[in-house]
Amino acid sequence: MQGQPPEMKGSTLAPIAPHLTGRPASGLPIDKLKVPKGFKAEVWADGVPEARSLTLGDKGTVFVSNRNLKDVYAIIDRGGKREVKKILKGLDVPNGVAFRQGTLYVAEKTRILAYAGIEDRLDNPPEPKVIIDGLPTQTGHFWKFIAFGPDGKLYFNIGAPGNIVMPGYIQGSISRFNLKTAKLEQYVYGVRNSVGFDWHPKTKQLWFTEHGRDWMGEDMPSDELNVVKRQGEHFGYPFCHQGDTLDPEFGKYRSCSEFTPPVLKLGAHIAPLGMRFYTGKMFPAEYQNNMFIAQHGSWNRTVKHGYNVIRVVVDANGKAKSEPFLEGFLTDPKANPPTWGRPVDVLVMRDGALLVSDDYNGIVYRISYKK
Amino acid sequence: MVNVLGRGARWLLVAALPFMACPLIAPAADPVAGRNKAQVCAACHGTSGNSANPAVPSLAGQPAQFIATQLIMFREGNRKDPQMSPATANMTNTDIDDLAAYFSAQPLAPSARNTAPARAAAGRRLSEQYHCVSCHGTALKGQQHIPRLAGQQFEYLRTQLRGFKAGTRFDMDGNMTSAVQALPDTDVEILADYLAGMK
Repeated sequence: MQGQPPEMKGSTLAPIAPHLTGRPASGLPIDKLKVPKGFKAEVWADGVPEARSLTLGDKGTVFVSNRNLKDVYAIIDRGGKREVKKILKGLDVPNGVAFRQGTLYVAEKTRILAYAGIEDRLDNPPEPKVIIDGLPTQTGHFWKFIAFGPDGKLYFNIGAPGNIVMPGYIQGSISRFNLKTAKLEQYVYGVRNSVGFDWHPKTKQLWFTEHGRDWMGEDMPSDELNVVKRQGEHFGYPFCHQGDTLDPEFGKYRSCSEFTPPVLKLGAHIAPLGMRFYTGKMFPAEYQNNMFIAQHGSWNRTVKHGYNVIRVVVDANGKAKSEPFLEGFLTDPKANPPTWGRPVDVLVMRDGALLVSDDYNGIVYRISYKK
Repeated sequence: MVNVLGRGARWLLVAALPFMACPLIAPAADPVAGRNKAQVCAACHGTSGNSANPAVPSLAGQPAQFIATQLIMFREGNRKDPQMSPATANMTNTDIDDLAAYFSAQPLAPSARNTAPARAAAGRRLSEQYHCVSCHGTALKGQQHIPRLAGQQFEYLRTQLRGFKAGTRFDMDGNMTSAVQALPDTDVEILADYLAGMK
């Protein structure tokens, strides 16, 4: 594969893919899921093949995206029972979903679409309005994550087109789009691929997860949690990884001091995806404004890790530390596959519970807390 | 293509297959149900999924997740084929899981292709040079969503490799497309010849 050095030619590390038909929760070891004391993890909905990104409608509908499939699902909570509906079909890599002021936004590979008033007509969705068209038709990292910032602009990633390659113009960045003026601007640079970000509820700064490159070793480089201090910052890719290690090829003649280092190294190949700040009222007070990060889990290392949700706490000095929050998917770090589930995104519900999507099985879990 | 059914008759069979109404959640895959549903596939893919046509892949011995993934990709239109697109159009996820369970459990018949030893040796070197073994496994027998290459039909393999190189063959994450970019056409021939001849 691209970036795989000759000395690793005997390697048998391979990506893991979801079961695209979905697997019913009744056949899975749900009781193996582990959360901290006082918390409870349960299946909220299954039968949502390849459940990826999550977003919440004004009227409580949870919208769930696909990456390899072409659909968007709606999950409606009806008095303790969930109704799962496929509401949009035939989309091209509809990985990104965001909701704002009655409109559902869906990011495909090359377009961003808007479905106004969709929550009132889930059985008969409106024709979409194309908000952005003509994004790159690249062969790698072509799935988008989208979210609205506190400035009302729509933010999204355009990944690097391969494992370790020089990104083209607009690639390897997080961009933002002003819907009123229809102007697009690149917000930050040097981001290999970010498929999860959120804004700190108080500082309003953008925090984002980022996947490091493959084929540089079992423990190198670390995937990252970053914070943006100012527009135009460069986070290193493809020159510098994890804030302190030059790329063997692209880092020649460069220095890591040119680039913004991560706030937290999450672990090599651990694949952090969805990330949200906790703003609900259900969990204990110390969870307020903490981050939850879904880690899809590693493939490019012999001993697998991740496949969990972590909690990240940032202290008054800006120092971040993480601890496990939802575990139990990983069954055997040396087996292939090593896991029975893979967390993708997290979503804070209005009642303060946390939803977690799992694309491997097509399941959404709910984590709640009771004293 | 040699088969007992004419083209038209085959489509009638497809249309008449009792595909069930679409439950969202697939129950556990049923290889026995899969065998019944697979009858129509035999016209092209051969008895028990052992193809006799160099352009049509054998399904016997392929990983179940690979078969299911590709059937879905045909159904969803990510892969297009004059035969497979209509054949999968009305398949439910249950049908797909059953077919995958059935074909993955069938033994792959030894390859009928006799690749010259020197060419096989060259092919083996290329399979290492291009890191095929990383994903397809050291014996190139595939795993999970990744296909078995050993003993697959020559022309089918060559068509897929060319398609990946041209960027026209559906690719889940871009790995295959990037992996074959450096392959000259001559290496595509040698690799396909080597893989098809593997016993």
